[in-house]
Amino acid sequence: MSEVIVITSGKGGVGKTTTTANVGTGLAKLDKKVVLIDTDIGLRNLDVVMGLENRIVYNLVDVVEGNCRYKQALIKDKRYPNLFLLPSAQTRDKTSVSPEQMKKLVDELKNEFDYILLDCPAGIEQGFKNAIAAADRALVVTTPEVSAIRDADRIIGLLEANEIKKINLIVNRIRMDMVKRGDMMSIDDVVEILAIDLIGAVPDDENIVVSTNQGEPLVGDTTLPGKAYLNICKRIMGEEVPFLDLSNDGFFKKLSRMFKKSNN
Amino acid sequence: MKEHVIIKGNRYGIVLVLDPDVPFEDLLIEIGVRFDDSSKYFNSNTQSAITFEGRDLSSEEIDRILDLIKKRTTLRIPYVIDNNKDTEEHFHRIIEAGGNYPSSQEGAEDETHFIYPEKNDGLFYKGTLRSGQTLESSGSLVMIGDVNPGATVMSNGNIIILGSLKGTAIAGAAGNKHAFVLALSMTPMQVQISDIIGRAPDKPKKRFGSKPMEAQIAFVENDNIYIEPVSKSVLNDINI
Repeated sequence: MSEVIVITSGKGGVGKTTTTANVGTGLAKLDKKVVLIDTDIGLRNLDVVMGLENRIVYNLVDVVEGNCRYKQALIKDKRYPNLFLLPSAQTRDKTSVSPEQMKKLVDELKNEFDYILLDCPAGIEQGFKNAIAAADRALVVTTPEVSAIRDADRIIGLLEANEIKKINLIVNRIRMDMVKRGDMMSIDDVVEILAIDLIGAVPDDENIVVSTNQGEPLVGDTTLPGKAYLNICKRIMGEEVPFLDLSNDGFFKKLSRMFKKSNN
Repeated sequence: MKEHVIIKGNRYGIVLVLDPDVPFEDLLIEIGVRFDDSSKYFNSNTQSAITFEGRDLSSEEIDRILDLIKKRTTLRIPYVIDNNKDTEEHFHRIIEAGGNYPSSQEGAEDETHFIYPEKNDGLFYKGTLRSGQTLESSGSLVMIGDVNPGATVMSNGNIIILGSLKGTAIAGAAGNKHAFVLALSMTPMQVQISDIIGRAPDKPKKRFGSKPMEAQIAFVENDNIYIEPVSKSVLNDINI
């Protein structure tokens, strides 16, 4: 049975597209049939982050308007044959698609795929409404910043009002050194305010910038964010995975701790 | 023979004094007899009020007596005067307090609980108010849950939040300056009581990390909003 997950946040730039790319790729790595749908019409970038921008022929609006069949628009991923992308249009805008059309399309896709991930645009208007129309479940992405949390709170309220009951939180770009200094909210602080279940925390990492620029999601590799994203995928599939210790101690800190221990 | 029924009266009203110890059926027979005897006084189609003394009667018993009188005489009885002292006091108090907010603590001599239907529509709500949501109540409001920043809780009465107030609270919205806002953790964006608005002073944002919850109450004094920790003395000063 297919699960339709919308990845949303309210605030822009917190990591929805990056999360969609990595979670989608991670689920494909775990042998699931996955399709990613970019619902940000007019400002598409899921294709760029996946590295598939030069393979686009048809897009979401073409499918919805009946110019092509959805199979013609789906793009197979470079690395995983069970992962597909349905890109958005770059030259139209959000009013080109309605929630009903989204629902119809997703219903068709449900027959073929285990997971359908919808990358939601920022904001709360038509783009958001289109994206949540067909979703069973939501992943709310936020960074540990006051403004992002305010928007995430609003989004959660709207999701609950639209009867999406399964809502999980991803805290992105957390910097444990700042948390220790008291300059940034901890993961627990964020969870306390938003009052939904945490499904994963991803640390801020240079490797992410590199991976999105190269168009190669880093999920499943040996970096900390890579591991974090893979753990999120496993938790989505129902596995219980302990949360990673994200404090990335430098070499000297580890050394000084060793000395302290030996002195006792 | 002792008389179990005595009829007293004048042109406008009858008092039926009834023996409390005699079974009701016997009494009924005797009432019939009495009225027959005095029929010449009661046979001119007069309207007369009636009241009963000496014995508590159920509505059914009163009905049967009135039926009897109707059959045996040409008396018309438009109403029965209820001389029950308790009922009288009860109604009296309700009418007295009708114009103000209930202050049943003052001057209540007995244990009766007064219910004021129009004013007692208090709201009890459980759940977290998220940014952009508003909860309104015309009566006082008790909430179990948080009010997140960007959310508003509004009431014509008082507001008690068993959780964190981080958003906006408006109490006494219809103009009651005695309203208060109480929260287990009071870090509101704004507090408004009646038409007076207060906000936290500008100071550097606190470092993150949770503080232990300390219940605080916001109220108006000298047209300013004061926020103080909840203590016995503060609670005693609250005027509902």
